[in-house]
Amino acid sequence: MKLLYSIYKEYKVLTRDRAGLAITFIMPTVLILIITLIQDTTFRSVNEASVPLLIVDRDNDSLSIALEKSLINSKFFVITKKQMTDEETKTEIAKGTYFIGVIIPENTSKKLREKSGARVTKLLNSFSGDSTETAVDTNKLNVQLFFDPITKKSFKTTVSNSFERIISQIEMQSMMSALNEKMQESFPLAKPSPLEITPIVNLKEDYASYNNSSIIPNSVQHNVPAWTLFAMFFICIPLAGNIIKERDDGSAFRLLTMPGSYMIVILGKMLTYVIVSLIQFALMLCVGVFVLPMMGMPELNIGNSLPVLFLVAFASGLAATGFGLLVGTIATSHDQASLFGAVFVIILAAIGGIWVPTFVMPEVMKKISVISPLNWGLEAFYGIFLRNFGLKEIFPEVAKLLAFFAASLGGAYLYQKYKRLK
Amino acid sequence: MSILVDIQHVSKKYKDAPRAAVNDLSLTINKGDIFGLLGPNGAGKTTFISMLCGLFPTTSGEIYINGLTHKTNSKACKQVIGVVPQEIALYPKLTAWENLMFLGHMYGLGGSDLKEKVKENLTILGLEANMHQKIISYSGGMKRRVNLIAGLLHNPQLLILDEPTVGVDVQSKQAIIEHLKKLNKEKGMTILYTSHHLEEAEDFCSHIAIIDDGKLITRGATKELISSNNCNSIEEVYLKITGVKFRDK
Repeated sequence: MKLLYSIYKEYKVLTRDRAGLAITFIMPTVLILIITLIQDTTFRSVNEASVPLLIVDRDNDSLSIALEKSLINSKFFVITKKQMTDEETKTEIAKGTYFIGVIIPENTSKKLREKSGARVTKLLNSFSGDSTETAVDTNKLNVQLFFDPITKKSFKTTVSNSFERIISQIEMQSMMSALNEKMQESFPLAKPSPLEITPIVNLKEDYASYNNSSIIPNSVQHNVPAWTLFAMFFICIPLAGNIIKERDDGSAFRLLTMPGSYMIVILGKMLTYVIVSLIQFALMLCVGVFVLPMMGMPELNIGNSLPVLFLVAFASGLAATGFGLLVGTIATSHDQASLFGAVFVIILAAIGGIWVPTFVMPEVMKKISVISPLNWGLEAFYGIFLRNFGLKEIFPEVAKLLAFFAASLGGAYLYQKYKRLK
Repeated sequence: MSILVDIQHVSKKYKDAPRAAVNDLSLTINKGDIFGLLGPNGAGKTTFISMLCGLFPTTSGEIYINGLTHKTNSKACKQVIGVVPQEIALYPKLTAWENLMFLGHMYGLGGSDLKEKVKENLTILGLEANMHQKIISYSGGMKRRVNLIAGLLHNPQLLILDEPTVGVDVQSKQAIIEHLKKLNKEKGMTILYTSHHLEEAEDFCSHIAIIDDGKLITRGATKELISSNNCNSIEEVYLKITGVKFRDK
């Protein structure tokens, strides 16, 4: 009964604090909406880049047609075709209008066919014992690529390799066609079936995930759990403030003089704030599932296990309230608690991958990120949202959050005991 | 008269403090006394009250409340005590009713008994009409009266009052003192009272102790204390004993 009344009291105090309610519920909602929208393009560039590419096609023949077709099929480029000089092309790329410019010179296809034919002829002649030297033009055909100067080396290499692969395929096709023609000349009565020149080896790519899930991380799937965790941990500020206020106004003194009541009041406070953090979590899930899709964002896929999801939220809420209790116990004033709590949560958020996801962090920061409880929560949510993890897989993260809660409680208890005996 | 509080050679020295906040203090408070504990700022009153309430342990010596100590029977000791802190220890955004119902529940009370007790006390102290208003909207005197009721809900045998009338209007002060006198007379409630209002202390307390620098300087029945020091009031006694020097730290 004492506990229930303590929770009821906290509920009354909280619901009458409009500024506190705004910080608790409106701040994370606004953060999720704004940052998800801002980061959407960045996440898309990681997942499904749309690179603007300019083709200056002076060939207008088989090679340029095949090249364009391959580039379209890659779904990696937004292609624009224009006719302009080399200098103009270079200027367009330098201006940043396009990331990449491709110039296919006149008669490239024709020359490719001629070169292929000459090479095949030379090869077949060597089989028939014909020692006559067939002149083969060794000059290479040039397809010019221009890159935007801001392009990263790794990206440039990736694109160049893709072009080389596409052009190699076209060359191979050209050689095979030339061989086919020469064979028909040698065996005019034969009716061979056309040679299959489609790739024999297929490179199969997929995202490694459990339970056949193939969800690609996006801005929504990062930002909804990330900022929900941030808001949950931000609860440490009102909670610490609440504890300090009770200490300053003599309420704690009065409660400490009551038989066995203060621990119940603290427990009531913690349970209330854990419930608030669960409501925050449910609200933020609704934002991800219902509100963000209305703004053109992808819908949040919440995985297959709602109980496991709420277990992670519960463990995160406990960790956050435990931290709030520790801050409230150690801080000597409300200002100190607000400043320390806010700065510490921001640091934990920064290193935990809330602002900048850990997968784009440098290696050293990736290693440091594992010390943040916000990172443990985020990794657990990633597991559920992106990999369809169950209880078994996310248990280590939940255990770490619970251990953080226990350590915070232990720290608060020891500090209180130290102060009492001082 | 039987002894309710027995303080035996109690000392308290905080870590790193140059001297003891309470130094070998011994005194007894009988059941039914209104006991005034007076002393300048920094004399050790708050430390003494905190130890009496079981908030922290003594460095040496024993405190017995009804024959029990906090060390061995803290819960029973706390059940005997009701505390009215100097600060308004109430939740400003809750109403007087909500505050008192919460604190009543924390004392282990509940049901219709608690509701009746809260209503009765609010009525006696003239707050019935405002009981559903938030504390934040109350005047200083009204807050003090609610603060007092909060310490009375479980009918404590020993009521500890730390400057209960500071900053209140004359009417509220009168209501508080009269109510306390009535509780002492009708229910035999023992009261331990600290204040810097020496005139009020002289009028209100049956016994007075003056402490300074953590030590008990003098104690006795109020009138005897005045006459034995050849003074006309407790204020004269107080100044005679503690001197006129400022106690700035």
